[in-house]
Amino acid sequence: MSERINSEKITADLLRPIRLNKGFMVWMGVLSISLLVCLFAYFLQLRDGMIVTGLGDYVSWGMYISNFVFFVASSLIGMLISGVLSLLKQKWAAPLARIAEIIALAFAAVAGLVIVMDMGRPDRLLNVFIHGRIQSPILWDVTVITSYMIVSALFLYIPLIPDLKICAQKLTNIPPFARKIYEFLSLNWSDTPVQRELIRKSTRTIAILIIPIALAIHTVTSWLFANTSRAGWDSTIFGPYFVAGAFVAGTAAVIIAMFIFRKVYHLEEYITEFHFDKIGQLLVLVSLLYLYFNVNEYMVPAYKMKRADAFHIHELFVGSHALLFWITQLGGLIIPIILLILKPFRKPIPMLVISTMVLIGSWLKRYIIVIPTMEHPYLPVQNVPLKFSVYTPTLIEILVTIAPMIMVLLIITVLAKVIPIIPIHETIEHQQEIASKKK
Amino acid sequence: MNYPTKKLKSILAFSFMICFAFQSFAASWNVPEDQKTRNSYIKFDASTASQGEAIYNANCLSCHGDPGKGNNLKSLNPIPPELSSVGSQNLTDGELLYILNTGRAVMPSFKNSLSEEKMWHVISYLRGFNKNYVQTLSSFDPSKSKLVKLVANFDKAKNAFLIVAYANEKNGKKALVGSEVSLFVKRRFGNLQIDKTLKTDGSGQAEIVFPNDIPGNKTGELEVIVKLFDLNYGEVQTTSRLAIGVPTNKPGLNEQRAIWNVLEKAPYWILFLYSLGVISFLIFILYILNNLRKFRISGNK
Amino acid sequence: MIENNQKSNKNTRREFLQNLGIVGVGSLLAGSAFFAARKYDSKKTAADRVKVLTAENKLVEIEKSAITEVEKTPATQLTYLQKQGRDGIAGSRFVMVIDLSKCQNARKCMSACQNAHHLRPEQHHINVLKMQETETTQPYYMPKPCQHCDNPPCVAVCPVDATFKRQDGIVLIDNERCIGCRFCIAACPYSARVFNWQEPLNAQADEGLVYNVELNVPQKKGTISKCLFSADRVREGKLPYCVSACPNGVYYFGDENEDVVTNGTTKESFRFKKLIADNAGYTLMPELGTKPRVYYLPPKGKSYPFQEKDREEAAEHLPI
Repeated sequence: MSERINSEKITADLLRPIRLNKGFMVWMGVLSISLLVCLFAYFLQLRDGMIVTGLGDYVSWGMYISNFVFFVASSLIGMLISGVLSLLKQKWAAPLARIAEIIALAFAAVAGLVIVMDMGRPDRLLNVFIHGRIQSPILWDVTVITSYMIVSALFLYIPLIPDLKICAQKLTNIPPFARKIYEFLSLNWSDTPVQRELIRKSTRTIAILIIPIALAIHTVTSWLFANTSRAGWDSTIFGPYFVAGAFVAGTAAVIIAMFIFRKVYHLEEYITEFHFDKIGQLLVLVSLLYLYFNVNEYMVPAYKMKRADAFHIHELFVGSHALLFWITQLGGLIIPIILLILKPFRKPIPMLVISTMVLIGSWLKRYIIVIPTMEHPYLPVQNVPLKFSVYTPTLIEILVTIAPMIMVLLIITVLAKVIPIIPIHETIEHQQEIASKKK
Repeated sequence: MNYPTKKLKSILAFSFMICFAFQSFAASWNVPEDQKTRNSYIKFDASTASQGEAIYNANCLSCHGDPGKGNNLKSLNPIPPELSSVGSQNLTDGELLYILNTGRAVMPSFKNSLSEEKMWHVISYLRGFNKNYVQTLSSFDPSKSKLVKLVANFDKAKNAFLIVAYANEKNGKKALVGSEVSLFVKRRFGNLQIDKTLKTDGSGQAEIVFPNDIPGNKTGELEVIVKLFDLNYGEVQTTSRLAIGVPTNKPGLNEQRAIWNVLEKAPYWILFLYSLGVISFLIFILYILNNLRKFRISGNK
Repeated sequence: MIENNQKSNKNTRREFLQNLGIVGVGSLLAGSAFFAARKYDSKKTAADRVKVLTAENKLVEIEKSAITEVEKTPATQLTYLQKQGRDGIAGSRFVMVIDLSKCQNARKCMSACQNAHHLRPEQHHINVLKMQETETTQPYYMPKPCQHCDNPPCVAVCPVDATFKRQDGIVLIDNERCIGCRFCIAACPYSARVFNWQEPLNAQADEGLVYNVELNVPQKKGTISKCLFSADRVREGKLPYCVSACPNGVYYFGDENEDVVTNGTTKESFRFKKLIADNAGYTLMPELGTKPRVYYLPPKGKSYPFQEKDREEAAEHLPI
């Protein structure tokens, strides 16, 4: 009997956030207005050409591309938490899986838009499909990002099916069309053994499938750089280096989202300090892995000091990008590792601060990877305006960079408003298991 | 060093300095006597001068500047002279033609880029800046070149061209002695001279060996041009197509399969791996979608 | 005189070919009936027949009476120019030789190029760089066009086949197809490519001009532009714009298959391999394996001093 009450309480708790309230409307309004401002900046770029950005013939990839890499990186977390951890039977991560999947889907969907914003002729986007050359890493990127989006969507959707049924049955105060949509999407879920088995099999297949695809999207993105002969990019470890960095960025993003949802949706009973402690350990683990790749990436060229590498290393360590470089490496990686090793810091509020540092560091890290290399090609930069050789982002460019971030927030907000952010069905099942074990 | 001295001194006796400067200038060109005394057969007039101006502006202006304005490029060593100057104008027409033909150090040769007629036009233009200039017309008659018969036979045994030149004068054949002959192979952007320019011997003959490594077309054919220049008869040339080159049939540079080539010529491995990836992904997705279909069917409405 | 004749000959031949090509497009449109009737037709006398080059680059013979001329609209003109531009010149492999001992930074090449391709002053298809390798070696001027690599990294990364390598070795850019991703700029180790960050220089004057991929004019906003080895001039048997503009005899250009390069200033021709062998010719950054088609002759025995005012800029790129 107590079980029954318990599961009803869980359902009620987790369904509670699914309703329109004032806070949600205000937040959406703020996001939409900011997005409009940013889109106006993009309109200016379309009208006047990319001259409105700080880019030039030498630094021809700038903030947009760093932003793209950051987006792809952040989307990788879905695979880590829902894929790897579930296959490793890390039960603690189960309540976080949906948050991770929503983040992954939002970042992956917008990453494509980010790259379109960097194009000189977005009107010719279809050429990629009409005249595509599969020898180009861009084609690989288009292919794997599309695949990853599909798989992420399925990975979000399939475990959601029972919850959708619950939504359709238990949600009050929703318009009939919404109920119909929930009903339709729940695919006649009736909790039969056959259906349970199908869900289990499908989820497991996707959990395995998402690992190579996720590795591919970030490895291919790293190849956009590593497949060129440029100092700072011409590296064989770029694939794993980027993947490790992606885990760091994504974990930090999940922690921030966890904190916010926990506060706003009052989910303290479901996302506990235990979860923060665990994911804090995960962040340390992936950060250490990333640190290891960083040591490789800078130590090897710095030891040899080949001519072009020497310019690059010099720029980063003591030159014009040194301040940004050290802020990124210390504030975004080394200090967070030291703090998170200590248990007192693996609490919600310190972790929010540390994760924000890590996430900002992750963004800056992509900037540090893209720009200094472009500023130092093999041959001297001469007979061009200063603007071409020293990159300074413009206001328009910054606004256009912010636009996709707002879109990600919009997608996350909307998704978190229409579906339960913590899996209801799974949580109930988990509770029942614990209860049966006690008996 | 010796021959121009007397003449120049008589012209520039009023200034030792100028004389000295000019002496060293002209002497350094070492113009052969027969070239130095050459004159134009074209009457210099306003029309030739304006044609010459256009050629001058395209080829000479960037270094020598506008005549009379002193905007010649002084950063060069030696400094290209200002061509309306006394020093330059005191050169004979023949000397100017020779300088245009040969070039030296900074100054390029215009032998291949300007015909003799055009060079006389340039000189005509330059003479317009000299009030005292009086043209001495050459008695040379360009139509006389029609009398010349130029025969070039390829001798396979010797691998050489035997060139014979004579003029069909009214009083019979006259061998052209001491005329310059040169052999060229026609190429896309210009003519490649084979060996050096030779002078015909006493019987109006010359022999130029043809190298055996000149590429021809697919069948080894190439176009050979023999040019003759005689001070009395002018310029004559004859062209022939012969299969004496190395047959050349290299494939186009974009034939092989390569990562940079078009999609149809992509390496097999990349076509294979890409298709493999896409197909296995589709299989997985179809499997999942089929699961969802079964799922929907098995459920109760 | 002779030269003039040759030029006009080439011009008429070119127009003739052009007409032929357009006629060819027309004959294609006329349909497959010709091909079916081909055997029967072959009995007719050769005088009634004409050889026609189709848009697929097939040489076919058809009856003269079957020809209908296609109207020269901008669209057919564009198709023709695109096809010709992508095909390149059969049997040739173009090369450039740059004699560094002669370059004195006159920059006539740069301005001739910018005029021909309607570029802004900061856009360089060819750029004369002030170079210095080490502190003890002498600085020198180095004109740097696109290297037209035989293993071109820029072409490899293009997602849409907008930039491509032709059979004659020339790497072109088709700004009717370019999506402006600038991956090629990132991939080029020679910094040879430029982008139209804004409305191109002559945008208004060039409006309505049929795009010629061999000249890359009109330029288009949001697309790449690059050195084309003046493919339009080369087609006419003329030397590239930069090569002909040089007053100092720095450039040689020619066909490797003919083993001859011709100097742009003196128009004098030399055996290509011998020129390279005698003067220790080299290519830029051979270690990258790009196999450039541009060769350099070292700045040995320079006839000009390196200008004092350029020393500082040359020294900026000294190794750290």
